[in-house]
Amino acid sequence: MRLMHTKLPEFLDKMNAANDKHLPDHRLTIRGMENLRTVKMQSLRTGRLENEVEEIASMEGIDHVELVMMPRVPETMHTVVIKGIAADGTVKKAILDTINVLHPTEEAELIGCEEIDDRRPPIGKH
Amino acid sequence: MATFPARVIPEGERCGILVPLTIVYLDKRDIEGAGLSIDEAIHAVARSIPGPAGINVFDMEAVTTTSDGVMIEGAIIRMAASDGGRINPDFGMLSMAEIEDSDELLAVEPHLIQWRKRFPGRRLFRGPDPKTKLIPVHNVVITGRASNNNSATEMMNIVTMEEIILPILGQLTCMKGGPVLVGMVGEVISVGIGMTIAEQYGRVFPSRQFKPGETAHGSGAYAKTLKKNIPCVVCDKAVLAEQTIAALDCGCVPARELGCSPAVLSIARAMGYPMALDRITAGAWEELESVGITRTWLEEHPTPMTREEVLAKADGIIPGVERARRVASSELLEMREIDG
Repeated sequence: MRLMHTKLPEFLDKMNAANDKHLPDHRLTIRGMENLRTVKMQSLRTGRLENEVEEIASMEGIDHVELVMMPRVPETMHTVVIKGIAADGTVKKAILDTINVLHPTEEAELIGCEEIDDRRPPIGKH
Repeated sequence: MATFPARVIPEGERCGILVPLTIVYLDKRDIEGAGLSIDEAIHAVARSIPGPAGINVFDMEAVTTTSDGVMIEGAIIRMAASDGGRINPDFGMLSMAEIEDSDELLAVEPHLIQWRKRFPGRRLFRGPDPKTKLIPVHNVVITGRASNNNSATEMMNIVTMEEIILPILGQLTCMKGGPVLVGMVGEVISVGIGMTIAEQYGRVFPSRQFKPGETAHGSGAYAKTLKKNIPCVVCDKAVLAEQTIAALDCGCVPARELGCSPAVLSIARAMGYPMALDRITAGAWEELESVGITRTWLEEHPTPMTREEVLAKADGIIPGVERARRVASSELLEMREIDG
């Protein structure tokens, strides 16, 4: 199972390498992952995304590539942990609550783009 | 090519407020007259607007309820959000559920006595049936930057994070013509919009979560700040008074069949209608008192005013809307002819 998920730094390395094969002078722009520090990324998709970054980067007329990650479902519910931490570092009390967040959908990233190749599975399928 | 008219509030500064996205109101009859389906018309509107937009389709012969439980003519039957000419296929459009009349329904939603007394045989729509949503988001549609919330009564641009509140009676005035009030929501309406009634497939809540006399906000004196500084377009206060009086005349009592919002309570107090003050919860009282609506004031029993007096003095009787400007809806909206 260790091959099922990819470490975040490795994911970023793979995307950058895929870009740099064809556009070594134009760094890949990655947005939407700024808050991710320690996560495991789906490996099968990592491979597909790697190929897709390379596919776009190798196209004629492309100056640079952006990779934007955004929630597929535009209203996400998050758990919020509010922690009171003592001077010795122990968590004295924690409150758990939720908050819903509205996100833009992909159309916000596609203004003016005519050629859209939607390879996503239907919602609910991996 | 078939064309149809659209009532449009363009994005940008308009009548002294910031409109965060283009707002479009469509009449089902105009769409049918052009020989189009509702979805064809929505897509045609989306194609005509390069930026973010919220799109509401009305059946002006149907009826709906306000958040106070007042029944009115004209209902939104489908809502959409568009951006860059597109509509998100999964989250961009949603229909409101048609409500079937029955004695069982009337028993649990007694404010619907207005339906039988005032609008017999008319179709009723409020919010969507959750089962028609792909996943359980709230009553919202989103495409790109555009978000059309709470069954099409609140719209926002998620990227600029600007928002506008569009209570249903104000939208219906835009459809029918007549003056509207444009301003900031303020403290009183921030409190009032939380004093909802129990409805299945309601505009904000999908189930009968909050009963008359309760507050959906439950946030004490803080509730008045909720939407305070957000722009809004609402109906003339005389229109709100007229519709609320009609509900009171049907035997609906504030905090029993109707919500206990400052507007409903103020009209009932002015005319001497009964109010179920004992049913108002402590949490709701805290919010009401924070905007000056106290039990002592409601129990003063001033000399009852007539309907005509209340309509003539509605601006002084009904609190709400800060920095309000009364403008002709024709000044706020522009008519556009859309190619189908």
